[in-house]
Amino acid sequence: MSALKTKFYLDKEHKKWAGVCAGIADYTGIDVTVVRLGFVLGTILGSGTLLLAYFIIAWMAPTKPRELYSQSAGDRKFWQEVRANPRRTARDVRLRFRDIDRRLADVEAYVTSSNNRLAREIEQLR
Amino acid sequence: MDGPQILIPILVVGMLFIGLPWLVFHYITKWKTAKTLTSEDENLLDELHELARRLDDRMGTIERIVQADNPNWRALGADPVETALEDRSERLYETSERTNRPSRRT
Repeated sequence: MSALKTKFYLDKEHKKWAGVCAGIADYTGIDVTVVRLGFVLGTILGSGTLLLAYFIIAWMAPTKPRELYSQSAGDRKFWQEVRANPRRTARDVRLRFRDIDRRLADVEAYVTSSNNRLAREIEQLR
Repeated sequence: MDGPQILIPILVVGMLFIGLPWLVFHYITKWKTAKTLTSEDENLLDELHELARRLDDRMGTIERIVQADNPNWRALGADPVETALEDRSERLYETSERTNRPSRRT
């Protein structure tokens, strides 16, 4: 069974401490630095509760499976969109298929009409 | 202390220990059923995404080939009645004398 791509993982490759912030950044697509800044500010303002949350997340969340690190940037972005809103992503994919269908229809129309045109040209040369 | 005032702590405790967890778990279960994709869904989505990307690439290649073949193919494909081949007569006869230029069929 392959690893689930819509789960939250600790990102050990881009970690500072445990990889929680890097994991959140990877999960949501927010910049890592922004997430870390948010965590630091939250820790200062929330007097340590967020730090506790950090350790709980680090303890509970599984680490990211090795095969998921080799994703291309496009794939990573795609899965971030899936996590944010699966329904919208499915709609997007359908839209892309429709677009391909339309373009294929254009080419088909051109090719068939050019066959007709060629036949007519030959007819006229006789 | 009379009747209604005794009821207040009971109500508060009830809300805190039954109502609140109920509310939280209600939304947790709702959120879970709405959001989770099974691994089958994921594979399907992955495959479709990959397929769309590949078809898109192929379509791009074919469009480039057709474009090289005839730059105004889109207009021709959209109007199949139009006989228009690419009109090269201008270019062909520009240099030669224009007297024997054949009349183009309509």
